[in-house]
Amino acid sequence: MRHLLVMTVFSVLVSIVFGAVAKDTPRERCLYGLKVFAEFMVIGLVLGWILYFIP
Amino acid sequence: MVKSEKAIERIEPTPPMAWAVTVLAWFIPGAGHLLLRRWIRAALMGGSVWLCFFLGMRMGGHMFNLSTGQGSSALLQVPPMIANLGSGALYIVCWLLDVGFADDLTQAARATYEYGNTFLLIAGLLNYLNMLDVFDIAAGRKP
Repeated sequence: MRHLLVMTVFSVLVSIVFGAVAKDTPRERCLYGLKVFAEFMVIGLVLGWILYFIP
Repeated sequence: MVKSEKAIERIEPTPPMAWAVTVLAWFIPGAGHLLLRRWIRAALMGGSVWLCFFLGMRMGGHMFNLSTGQGSSALLQVPPMIANLGSGALYIVCWLLDVGFADDLTQAARATYEYGNTFLLIAGLLNYLNMLDVFDIAAGRKP
């Protein structure tokens, strides 16, 4: 549970900066930040499950 | 030919102030945006760097400098040290106080040790992005 929490905090912080730096309008920035956050989480969980089955 | 001349005319020199604000943004994360009166950006971007750094320290991560390692292994410390250096004054103060540079076994045995290292590295790298953003805004290349 703690690992997931740390990953989520990491994803939030990085997504905020990525979202603020990229794009032109506030709406685009919000959407981009959310997209980056979702990508971090989904890829992290998928990789976690793949590594779970690898001895 | 005429078109390229027009393009050259449109390029404006970078104001010296932009460089100064960028250096300030490196030294104190978020200060560059504050100086440019971008309050929300300062809170979000600067706050992310500060939070990332302190969480990394809290998790028991350690920072890199050239004093660790012998021979060519000292060179291996350079890339992560550059990432850590991005935190600006946070790194320098910790280096002066010798806080966060210890690499003892009890600290390395903590479950969050590697997470802490990563958070500290990312704090510096995020601040480099902040610097680029501040420079673009100060130079008038970004609204």
